[in-house]
Amino acid sequence: MEEKQPVLELQHVSVGYDSPAGMVQAVNDVSLTIYENTIVGLIGESGSGKSTLGNAIMHLMKNNAVLTSGTIKVMGKDVYSLTKNELRKFRWSQMAMVFQSAMNALNPVLTVEDQILDVFLSHDKSMSKKEAKKRARELMDVVSIDPRYLKSYPHELSGGMRQRVVIAIAIALDPKLVIMDEPTTALDVVVQRSILDKIKEIQKVKKFAILFISHDFSLVSELASKVAIMYAGRFIEVTDSHSLMNAKEHHPYTEGLIRAIPHLTAEEVTIEGIPGNPPNLVELPTGCAYHPRCRYANELCKKKRPEMRHVDTRDIECHLYETVQK
Amino acid sequence: MSQSSTLVKVEDLVIKFPVRGNKESKFITPVDKVNLEIKKGEVLALVGESGSGKTTIGRALVRLLKPTEGQVTVQGKKINDIKGRDLKNYRQVAQMIFQDPFGSLNPVRSIEGHLKFPLRKHQGYKGKALDQKVTELLLQVGLTPVAEIRKKHPHELSGGQRQRLAIARALAVNPKFIVADEPTSMLDVSIRAGILQLMNDLKRDLGLSYLYITHDLASARYFGDRIMVLYGGKVMEIAESKELIKRPLNPYTRLLLAATPGSDTQIDLTDANNEAPDLSEGRKGCPFVNRCPLATAVCRETMPELKQAVDQHFVACHHYEEVDTVH
Repeated sequence: MEEKQPVLELQHVSVGYDSPAGMVQAVNDVSLTIYENTIVGLIGESGSGKSTLGNAIMHLMKNNAVLTSGTIKVMGKDVYSLTKNELRKFRWSQMAMVFQSAMNALNPVLTVEDQILDVFLSHDKSMSKKEAKKRARELMDVVSIDPRYLKSYPHELSGGMRQRVVIAIAIALDPKLVIMDEPTTALDVVVQRSILDKIKEIQKVKKFAILFISHDFSLVSELASKVAIMYAGRFIEVTDSHSLMNAKEHHPYTEGLIRAIPHLTAEEVTIEGIPGNPPNLVELPTGCAYHPRCRYANELCKKKRPEMRHVDTRDIECHLYETVQK
Repeated sequence: MSQSSTLVKVEDLVIKFPVRGNKESKFITPVDKVNLEIKKGEVLALVGESGSGKTTIGRALVRLLKPTEGQVTVQGKKINDIKGRDLKNYRQVAQMIFQDPFGSLNPVRSIEGHLKFPLRKHQGYKGKALDQKVTELLLQVGLTPVAEIRKKHPHELSGGQRQRLAIARALAVNPKFIVADEPTSMLDVSIRAGILQLMNDLKRDLGLSYLYITHDLASARYFGDRIMVLYGGKVMEIAESKELIKRPLNPYTRLLLAATPGSDTQIDLTDANNEAPDLSEGRKGCPFVNRCPLATAVCRETMPELKQAVDQHFVACHHYEEVDTVH
């Protein structure tokens, strides 16, 4: 098998927010590699740092957020070593993003066509307007929207169509990496499903890598081949999605999440919530950040942060698996 | 089914909203001739996409909206036109839990203030008994440590805790019937199960009836005794939860089920037609007709009646018997 090329390499990445209460570590020492033509899911609750990480990869961090340590490489290039101008060109041609509030990511006073043309013309000065228009029509085809909607304004489109337009804009320049931050969260289930099917279909053809950020467990495990689960800024488990649903040994948090979701087709449905509340990043618990909510927690968990261990096909950060070979 | 066990009865409920047209005023009908019954201690899950009319029905049942036509009877009393003291008394029978716990609480009122107000106004609690009752309610919904929590304000609580407070506030008036409008959709996954469990415990301990409004079939299956599927303001199908998931008869229910993550059936929806249903007044036929694989001429002309297909499994579709021929 030929060597796959890494598209995204995260090495010990930490991102902090400079706040009056001191530096708040939203992303804490995470490492991950995504290869071409793969979909990787990133699951976490609100405040787990998943969107912060997505923005950090795009070098789009807002006001007080800083990359405190580690390197982020996209297609072998350190995103944080690029100059402003290089970065502007690098974004969208190599890496693109579909934002969480995609419903509002479009400019309300420009037509769909103008917004797509903008991507082509600002990145390729030599492209003629005619050529760009042709490409825009092709893009609409790719995301299955009738090209007549090119002349529409965003408010004239339904939520699902707007989301398709946002995806079209993201893939306009054939980027190698597309970060999707909860792209279907505000949509109805049927629309959500059709968007996901569309994403899968386009990905198969264009073979870019996707980092799919979501809080929806079952959705991510269906879409992605590999899943990283984030809690309090750390990857507490990285697993292939098959083992996520089928294997027994998981991080207790993952286990809790699996138990918390009612299954649609099971004969008897029982669910169980995870006690307690999501952690406060300003005052993180000592040791393992999950220990106050963990049913297996012991003294060690309160004192010492566990190391990442390789368990079967997965990487798990938990003292439970201490005995397992590293 | 004996008449006495029925708590909520809705007959031919129609709700119309005016929309401003170019010249003449028009109406849309987001809820069109809906019939339903909820028994004592029963949970009816109302499932549908946005715009299907599920929230509108919920609001009509707690009389935040006045029905345009039809009859809503709760505990044998007609509530369509009640006002003044009667309406105030009705608030002690039916309560609502809203979707957004960040918007449904008063930011400048303390936690205990949220509970003291209804206890004083509706139940006449005073002094020590009032404090006692607040403690009791907070314990009941699992908001502990009570002494600390009661002095806090909503911004100091997490989303799950806020929703627990909203539930405690609804319980303060000792209601018989609760409309829960997507109570978990704005919460984190790890928190949702706890809220659903709490509502389930309250149903068991207090014999509460619920109208559980949701777009998530999996949670409807978990919490609902029966599921009613709504589309374009009309009832498409209603059956016992397990039966409905196992044997969906309406093509729309099938679509919804296939689209839900974790389902066994897969339909290719890549190019699905996601056109919203027509809600205009005086529309004809089945609202799902433009998206339905089984649609024929008769579907465009007349809305199918809700018929009992199998025991206690009702479906509104002209072609439900052929539903196994597609997908």
